[in-house]
Order: sequence, then C-alpha cells, then structure tokens
Amino acid sequence: MLSFLYARQSGLDDPVRLRRAESTRRVLSLKLNHNRDVDRIHGNGINTLDIEVIDGRYMLSGGSDGVIVIYDLENNSKKPQYTCKAICTVGRSSRHVHKFSVETVQWYPHDTGMFVSSSFDKTMKVWDTETLKPAEEFQFDGNVYCHHMSPVARRHSLVAGVFSDQTKPSACELVNVSLTGHRGEILSVRWSPRYDHILATASTDSRVRIWDVRRASGSLFTLDQHNGDKSKVSSEAVNTAHNGRVNGLCFTADGLHLLSTGTDDRMRLWNSGTGENTLVNYGKVVNESRKGLKFTVSRGCSPEFVFVPCGSSVAVYGLHSGELITMLRGHYNNVDCCEFHPDYQELYSGGKDCNILAWVPVLRQPGIEDDETNSKRGGTQAAINPAFEDAWSSDED
Amino acid sequence: MSRKRALIADTFCLTKRRRCAADSVTDGAADIRSSLQYLMTMFSRKLFNDSLPPVVLKHQLYSLHNDKTSVDKQVNELRENGELLMFQLGFDSEAFALVFAEDYRTKVLQGEAGRETLGTVEKFLAKLIPGCSDLSFNKEKMLKEFLFTDPEITQLVKSGVLTVRDAGSWWLSIPNSGKFIKYFIKGRKAVLGVVKKSKYGEILKTELEGRRTTSQVKFQMKYHIHDIMGAELVECIQTTSGTLLRYVDGNVN
Repeated sequence: MLSFLYARQSGLDDPVRLRRAESTRRVLSLKLNHNRDVDRIHGNGINTLDIEVIDGRYMLSGGSDGVIVIYDLENNSKKPQYTCKAICTVGRSSRHVHKFSVETVQWYPHDTGMFVSSSFDKTMKVWDTETLKPAEEFQFDGNVYCHHMSPVARRHSLVAGVFSDQTKPSACELVNVSLTGHRGEILSVRWSPRYDHILATASTDSRVRIWDVRRASGSLFTLDQHNGDKSKVSSEAVNTAHNGRVNGLCFTADGLHLLSTGTDDRMRLWNSGTGENTLVNYGKVVNESRKGLKFTVSRGCSPEFVFVPCGSSVAVYGLHSGELITMLRGHYNNVDCCEFHPDYQELYSGGKDCNILAWVPVLRQPGIEDDETNSKRGGTQAAINPAFEDAWSSDED
Repeated sequence: MSRKRALIADTFCLTKRRRCAADSVTDGAADIRSSLQYLMTMFSRKLFNDSLPPVVLKHQLYSLHNDKTSVDKQVNELRENGELLMFQLGFDSEAFALVFAEDYRTKVLQGEAGRETLGTVEKFLAKLIPGCSDLSFNKEKMLKEFLFTDPEITQLVKSGVLTVRDAGSWWLSIPNSGKFIKYFIKGRKAVLGVVKKSKYGEILKTELEGRRTTSQVKFQMKYHIHDIMGAELVECIQTTSGTLLRYVDGNVN
C-alpha cells in the first residue's frame, strides 16, 4: 500500500491505479459488520434494492407486501455503531400503495426527486419523493416483471417495462413503443450504460435479445451461447443464450460486457457490441428463481467482481477469470437482490428473510499487511511503529 | 519493471486462500494433456473387452484444475490441432466426452476390421481427424463438403460412428458406447447415493476412495469421484483432514 502511495506521489503511477488497488482490496475483504445494519421495516421478503447515483446516500427498497421504503445510508452520528434509518415509507396504510408485490424500484437517474416502481398489480407508478404520492401511473395488461430507466439518457426519458400477458405474445413496452420478438415471458430488461438507445431483454424462451429503440422493427441480434457453432447442441437449443429460462441481466459499468444468468445454473459473459459469448466458465451458479434475479457488478476495481445471489448466500466471482472468490453467508432465507455502493465498496443484499444486510470492507489491520507488501517490494518503512513496540513481548507471526 | 506488469489483485493475498489445503494436482500453467492421460488410466478397458478407446469427460478436468476458463481454452486448442475429439453424450447437454484422436482411430478401425463398412469408415476418419472439430453433421455438409452418398451415410450410422440427431443431421459418436453410458450413469448414481447416505450427507474424499464399490459401480471409484466433483454434483470443502464432499440437495439424481 505504501509503495502505491509513493508511486503516485512521485508520478510513477497513474492516480487511478491507487484508487483501483484500494477498491479491489476493500471488495476482497467484504464481511458482515456488526456495527452496521439496516432498519427492518418490511414484513415480507425484499425483492429489489436501488441506491441513487448522485450522492450514493439514499437507498430504495421494494418488498413482496407492496411496501416501498427509503433509507439514509450515511453515517452522521460520530459512533461506529450505526443503523441505516428508514426516512419514509409508502406503507400499507397509504392510499397509493401497490396492491401486490413490488418487483422493481429505481430512482430517477438524474436526481432523487422521483422514483419509479412496478409491481404485480399490473401498474407502474412514478412517485414524487417529497409528497410520496404517485405523479403518474401506467396501467398494463399483465404483471410487470421488471422495468429499467436508462442511466445515461439525456435525449429521452423512456422507461422500459416488461410484463406477462396471456392473450398476446409478450412485448417489451416503452411509452407507446412496443417491441415484439420474444416467444415467452420477458423476465428482465436493462438499458446499456454506454449508449442510450441500446436495450437488452431476457426471457423464458431462453433467449436474450439486444434492441435499438430508434428502430422498433426488430431486435438487433440474439445472443447465442455457442457463437454460431450449430453442431454442439440439439436442434431445438440452437441460437439460445441458456439452456433454460434466462432470468437475470446486468451490464458491466463500462457497458462493454453483459452478464446473463439462467435456470440452467450457468452465468455467461457476453461482448455487448458483437453479441459473442466470451466463454468465461463460472461453474455452477445455483439459480432456482422463478422470476427475475437481480445481481450486480462492482465498479472501480480491477479486476471487476460479480455479486450473484445463490440460494441463501451471495457468491462473488471474478468477472473475467470466472473463479469463485468467496461466498457471503448471512441471510436466513433466499437472497433476491443485491446492490453495490461504488463509493464505499459496500454491498447491500435483501432477501426473503425480510432483512437487508450490509457487507462492509474490513478495516485494515495495522502491521500484518504492511509486512507482506514491504517484503515483496523491498520497502523501506518499518513494519511496526516504534511507539507500539514494547520490551517484553516477542515478535509473533 | 515487473511491478507494472503485476496484477493488482495479486498484491493482496487473501488470508482465506493461504489457509486452504492445496489439494488440487496442479495450478497455474497447467498441462491439460498430462491430466487427460492421468484420467484415462482410470478408465477400465477390459470392462468393454478392449473395444472402446479410453474416454474421459470434460468436466472431470475441472476437478483437477482451478481455472475452468483456461481448461476450456486448452481443450479447444487441442481439438483444433486435431489431437483430441469431443463428443456429445446423450444424457446431459453439458456432458462432453473427450477421446484422443489416435486412440479413436485405432479402436474404430479395429472394430470395423473384416466388415464391409470398413472403406467408408476409413474415408470418414480421414476427413474427420485432421480438420474437422464439429460435434454434429447435417445433410448438406455430408453430401457437399465430405462428398458422401446416402448409402454411405447409412453405412456410417450402422457402424456406430454417427448417431441420429434429428431428420437430416447426425451426432459424431463412439461405436459401442451405449454400454459405457449405461454403466457410467448407474455408477454415478450409486456413488452419489453413498455420499447422500453417509452421516450428515458428507464424506471425506479419501474415505470414499477406500470404500468397497457395489456391483453397480463398474468403473474405478476415482473416475467417478472426479466426475461428481467436476460436474459440481457435490460441494468440495477443504478441511484440515483433506477434501470433504458434501451432497448438494438440488440434484436431479
């Protein structure tokens, strides 16, 4: 660590390298911290979490009971013991609360004045945060499984929502624009964080399609897990992204890669420009979820990490290497969603046990790691500050 | 400047990694070929009266090496060089069998010796082994690229080198492999049953290797253990007494 600081100070290294190194170290040491927890408001499972991008201070959560809660994540008390308080709630007593389970919530990407929620009561509501009343409400014909607003769009403010419908083939519906092409229910939709016109959808017909909303004629391409090698599979499974339902999508922070998870217990990494399967093998990523799974990718580390809910724990994989770094265990029941806080490298996960757990990087222990890095680099600093040395204890390793 | 080339993540060794017992055979720059040969020694030849070449499943390699992506890459390289052949076995869309090309050729020709389909099979093998790394073939490919006629394709199916996939396309297959697949599935089920029935549903790998095999299990125990470890049908936990295999509940078997 000291060598990184010295290199930055003397100009040998790029400033961002120190930041990435420290972010990576913090993510590798994520643990449950007994000093930090989140207020328990939900009486039923938590389906979705979202942290706003402006300050990283407020977090939204939506639950299976239709309740939406906003939490303040910042620690203004001077004590290390801190509970993230719920600032306001759209509870069961509110007139405008969703009747059934809230599936997705998302802050408006440009400020915290409004947020959008969609639920199994076939509505999508745009809420005003000040008054907690819906400013706008969209009615659909089927359960809305997922919605997403583009995080980078300046020219349009389209919300993409996907819903199930018994009479028509499922469509991904934007405001007045309907994109057809999937043959089964669509479980997940994501805008690209790189281009404001690229959209990806994942459906129960095992396909993932990439769309350009500027031309609503058809999808740009479908992701094929075998990269066009039709000889590897039986004829029905040709041109599919997974061998089962695809129920989770996540773009990496730079938008260059797309991750998808499916009920065939596999996670695949795709090149989002060409649609090619990068063939990174993550092994068996247990996935029994019947509706969408919400997982997330770290930002600002090198190498990046994927946090995927697997049963009742969260699995952390290296993005490009595919190796399992660790399993974060702590929930009592299935984990449904997780969200990464990029500024503090913290992970928040919510699940059926009605808890939101905060995974916080462990503070660096003095002395031990400085020994490691110094002995590798041949640093000049002494490992233990002479003020802490005493005459009667021996060096221990 | 070796510092600039080092990965940032290497600087921060996880204490958890240091504590784990290093149980896998190799790591880092692994040699897949030697692992394949090691696994093939566990294949019992005389069970099939020496009519089958030694067969290894691709996921057995995952139990020997940590990095699955590099294993996949090296296997594909060997296939492209024409040294290794990959087959799709019928029972699982993810289970692929690997056979060395030379072994395959000798065994197939040995099985065909004296039959009238020998000439066609030789022609097919000559087309297949250096160049083609496909798992299945459809009709246009057989007729146009490989220049086979319909009766010749029927002969190939009869000899067991091709099996029907659907109307107009065929899988590449190993002749006489039906018995292999039957014994393999039975043996896998029996070994998983042993793990499941143990106290707490878990058993040390060394103890499992020492157990007497039932009559259902025709292959060597180690062969099956590599299979269930690589296919992640059991969870492998490193303990101070060695590797522990714990039965995973969500299995189909």
